[in-house]
Amino acid sequence: MIRLHSLRARLLLTVSIATLLAWGAAGVASYDKALHEADELMDGQLAQSAKLLMAQVLHETNELEAKGLSAAHPIEITENLDYDASHPYEQHLEFRVMNRNGLLLLRSAQAPEMAPPTPDSEIATYRDIKHAGQPWRQLSLRSSDGHYLVQIAHPTQERERVGMEVATQVALPILLALPILVLLVYFSVRGSLKPLEELAADVAARSPDNLEVLSEPQTLREAQPLVAALNRLFSRLAATLDNERRFTADAAHELRTPLAAVKVQAQVALASTDPTDHQHALRQVLAGADRATRLVEQLLRLARLDPLARLPQTHSLDLATSAASVVADMQAQAATKQQQLNFTPPATPIPIQGDADLLAVALRNLIENALRYTPAGGVIEVRADLVSQRPLLVVRDSGPGVNPEEAPRLLERFYRGQAAANAEGSHGSGLGLAIVERIAELHGAQLEIENRARGGLEVRLRWR
Amino acid sequence: MRVLLVEDDPLLGDGVRAGLKLADYAVDWVRDGEAGRLALLAQAYDACVLDLGLPRRDGLSLLKDLRSRGNATPVLILTARDTSADKVSGLDAGADDYLVKPFDLAELQARLRALIRRASGTSTPTLSHAGVVLDPATKQVSLNGQTITLSAREFTLLHDLLSHKNRIRARSELEKSLYAWGEEVESNTVEVYIHHLRKKFGAEFIHTVRGLGYRVGETG
Repeated sequence: MIRLHSLRARLLLTVSIATLLAWGAAGVASYDKALHEADELMDGQLAQSAKLLMAQVLHETNELEAKGLSAAHPIEITENLDYDASHPYEQHLEFRVMNRNGLLLLRSAQAPEMAPPTPDSEIATYRDIKHAGQPWRQLSLRSSDGHYLVQIAHPTQERERVGMEVATQVALPILLALPILVLLVYFSVRGSLKPLEELAADVAARSPDNLEVLSEPQTLREAQPLVAALNRLFSRLAATLDNERRFTADAAHELRTPLAAVKVQAQVALASTDPTDHQHALRQVLAGADRATRLVEQLLRLARLDPLARLPQTHSLDLATSAASVVADMQAQAATKQQQLNFTPPATPIPIQGDADLLAVALRNLIENALRYTPAGGVIEVRADLVSQRPLLVVRDSGPGVNPEEAPRLLERFYRGQAAANAEGSHGSGLGLAIVERIAELHGAQLEIENRARGGLEVRLRWR
Repeated sequence: MRVLLVEDDPLLGDGVRAGLKLADYAVDWVRDGEAGRLALLAQAYDACVLDLGLPRRDGLSLLKDLRSRGNATPVLILTARDTSADKVSGLDAGADDYLVKPFDLAELQARLRALIRRASGTSTPTLSHAGVVLDPATKQVSLNGQTITLSAREFTLLHDLLSHKNRIRARSELEKSLYAWGEEVESNTVEVYIHHLRKKFGAEFIHTVRGLGYRVGETG
């Protein structure tokens, strides 16, 4: 089946087909009706002619009886009655007249053989017969005394011609009106679709820089839900783009600080004559380069995680094993800062579906934060557990915790807490927790941050 | 010359401090806006290098607070934002100059020199009095056209006195100009260096104002 994607073509086709069907139905109905009426009319004519003939027969009974009976031959009317002035609806008539005994008294030249009606039939009997290969209509009429029988017949194709004529007369105007109708539909549809075309032009004019709302077309109510939906899409799109732009700008600005540090430290190294200062500045250059690298890595990680609606592929893994291996990897880092990093394994494995690499990134970020903000000699505890059948990963430190007024901003990208300014040495990217939150989301887990009653911070990844 | 550095980034702060020290500034480094505000309340600085993105109190707010108290310390802001709107808001809040990160250390030093010079009321890059000419940019000093070699401390002291020409500088003020926080101040340092300077430029070059301090030039 051909699908018509053009509203105009579909409407034109539908209207045309509907019109043609109506036309056809009207034609058939008129033809039927006309045929029936013609039947009635012509039966009436047959009756009239038969009665005329009967009257004539009764009037000239004696002569007929004398001639017919004596000659033992029926009188044959042989004169040619086909005048030039014949009317188109004039009937070609054939007839026979018989007496009670079935004796033929009178007949027309080409009168067909007509079966006599059964004796007990009514006075007038109509019957369809065949004559010379054509359908004919026959009427047998008995005189009231039952003495004479007049049979009269005419061909019925005339009646079909009449029916056709009437049907054509009825249906023709519809057929003539069809092209006009099609034109009207065409222009009406074109006019109605104009607001849609304007809307299309309006939408085409939109770009990421111009996401203004569309004005609602007043003339086309059907298009208004579309416009409303588009406007909602535009506002969502504008918000997303805004976020992206802000994030890109923020990222660029964030990179400027480590670059400034690298540049200044390098210049200090070039200018200082004191070997200790020189060495220190050079080490700071390296630290700055490391920090810029880490920031770029975190940015890339977030850029890759952000557009994901869900994890591209998940594996069955044991949360406890994953956590244990990350904790083992980070022991050296903890030792450098003279901190204790402990892992409490669960009694049973904790099976989850997820991405082991991403989970390791999340846990490493959490442990790095704890190491960064906890003073030397601190204790960092990592615990994996099943709480009411739901996996739970906890990192707690003995650091200063967070200011309650800062807590809501901790997940903001590039936000660094007060503790970050006081922390010596390494400087975070301000993206760590945002990355952890994103990874948690992708794993169907929730990130919870809470100050501990006895000091320090507790960060939890709680599976839903 | 004593400068306050307000910078939360450990690496950048360390670098700027080292860079300013190379230019013989005594540098006090604080890491948040509130600490900066308190430092500026407690101490007179020749200039302040101020980052805008700071924890606890952002740079602009610190600057407005400073100016609202009538403190005219020259302030140079460091900003990561380079749109003109950011620069305008910084200058409108009372900054005297700004630098966009990453910046050149030499440019930071030059801009600070210009700020301090303008604040002392001179527009020429060199300071001079009684045949003594001091060029803060090249750190060269001459007497009647003849180059005189000075130690870093001697230079800083002479720079301070010439910057406050015709005004009395207390011994404590001169000490603060020589030493940043945490540096050990030796007793009699100021007297020792004044003595050195008088030997090089003549006893009459620096006046002793009894009980108050020292002065270069006439009473203001």
